[in-house]
Amino acid sequence: MAGADSPSAALRRRDLCARGIRLAGKMRSDVVDLLDTYVERQGLDASASVAAVEGVPPAAVERWDEQTGTQRLLENLAAYRAFRALLAQMLEEQREQLGEADAALGRALAAVLLQVSAFAYHLEELLRLESRGPPSEEGDGPPPQPQGLFEQKLRGLGVLRELAQWAVRSARDLRQLAKHGPGAGSAPSPAESP
Amino acid sequence: VSPAAAPAVISPQDPTLLIGSSLVATCTVSPDFPLKAEDLYWTLNGRRLPAASYAALGPSTLSVALARLNGSRQQSGDNLVCHSRDGGILAGSCLYVGLPPEKPVNITCWSKNMKDLTCKWAPGTEGETFLHTNYTLKYKLRWYGRDNTCQEYHTAGPYSCHIPKDLALFTPYEIWVEASNRLGVAVSDVVMLDILDVVTTDPPSDVHVSRVGDLEDQLSVRWSSPPALKDFLFQAKYQIQYRVEDSSEWKVVDDVGNQTSCRLAGLRPGTVYFVQVRCNPFGIYGSKKAGIWSDWSNPTAASTPRSERGAGGCDPKGGEQNTTLRRELKQFFGWVKKHAYGCSNLGIKLYDQWRVWLQKSHKTRNQVGKEP
Repeated sequence: MAGADSPSAALRRRDLCARGIRLAGKMRSDVVDLLDTYVERQGLDASASVAAVEGVPPAAVERWDEQTGTQRLLENLAAYRAFRALLAQMLEEQREQLGEADAALGRALAAVLLQVSAFAYHLEELLRLESRGPPSEEGDGPPPQPQGLFEQKLRGLGVLRELAQWAVRSARDLRQLAKHGPGAGSAPSPAESP
Repeated sequence: VSPAAAPAVISPQDPTLLIGSSLVATCTVSPDFPLKAEDLYWTLNGRRLPAASYAALGPSTLSVALARLNGSRQQSGDNLVCHSRDGGILAGSCLYVGLPPEKPVNITCWSKNMKDLTCKWAPGTEGETFLHTNYTLKYKLRWYGRDNTCQEYHTAGPYSCHIPKDLALFTPYEIWVEASNRLGVAVSDVVMLDILDVVTTDPPSDVHVSRVGDLEDQLSVRWSSPPALKDFLFQAKYQIQYRVEDSSEWKVVDDVGNQTSCRLAGLRPGTVYFVQVRCNPFGIYGSKKAGIWSDWSNPTAASTPRSERGAGGCDPKGGEQNTTLRRELKQFFGWVKKHAYGCSNLGIKLYDQWRVWLQKSHKTRNQVGKEP
């Protein structure tokens, strides 16, 4: 882990974290706007409670403060890879159901998908600074297909809500990583040696 | 809505219905869930449906009767949802209520410089179908050839398609539009056209408007023919339209012919005018037909000079008198043409030419220093 602790690695990590935090902020703002458009187009109640949907990674986490920076990065990466597949599926479903009739919703979905892909790449870069590198994506099958069209609508609502929450969590994860480095949790720990 | 076992199932699932239909839907709770029919209620698009429309068909099955359905509120379908007493969502079904498409109408097409074809049409239904309706434009050469499908939609409005290449000349095309939605398909009448008959061009380029010396009621307009015309068209008609700056009323000069310059006369002195030019590729490859007028060129502005005669410059009263006089003369000449034979050459243009001559001769006399 000596390379990961070198001054240049620390500088690069801080730079990547700063950019990642900005990206997470923009992503959250765009997802919130997309949510408004989505509920309106799908005729849903914005406050409808949606049970946990299979394949959508929950942002809620217990004992977050005990996680190391690397563990947080890995969980973030797994989540955004899952969101990338889920949003791609939503985009395909939207095109099948409505074609070009709702170009605005399609464009907004595509824009968020792009940001999620960019953020996942960002996380992979951060993990490359550690000796282990990012895990491969083998074995990640496509997300399960909802049974009916109403289930599709509800799942989309769940995906966007959870993604908005993840953007908040990711910004905090990156702030901690920038402050404490990959090996430490949030709890105060001895400073890492260069 | 859950993961492995859905708490309940609605039947029918995602049905498509005609406006005015009635529907009976059932919600059956899964045996794994301890809910009875009396624990359930229905909503449609978030609005709770009256209990009077429910019926318990079994211990864990509740039905709802919907009569005379209106068109779907959103194209993604109306949300019919079965809830538990505490408001939780147990299952949902999307209702697609609408009308089948009517055949698209008013197909019009144009070709830009004989290189492509753009067509637009209007949906047949005056209102809407309430369902997502897909439009496909198809075309084929008249007596042979397979059906082709246009790929680039919405290029000239929501009901339009653009065919960018591989179009044949000198053979008519058959063109039609198919509309389809969940309730059916409708096909427009077939339109037949020859690409050469629907050609348009870019607007004329390099439009310049300038004063004609000191002549205060004239402007000279010059332009270049659109570049695409140079290769294959030698007949082109032009039209000019112009207006004063603070008016929305355009005057059209129709008889410009195929020249690339024109002089506007009878204008107001000291006034800003906007001028536009457009082109019609008339008589392409010997065709006798007119093409389609291009868009107007971007407006070009210029102002007529203001008279310097008299102390203090412009005499508004004199200007008004000139306008009134000119109007009266125009009416007089119109009357002469109708009632006096052998005077067909008299017209307002002759008067304008006389005024040009008069101003030139005044200028010459002033330059020489002689008083009239």
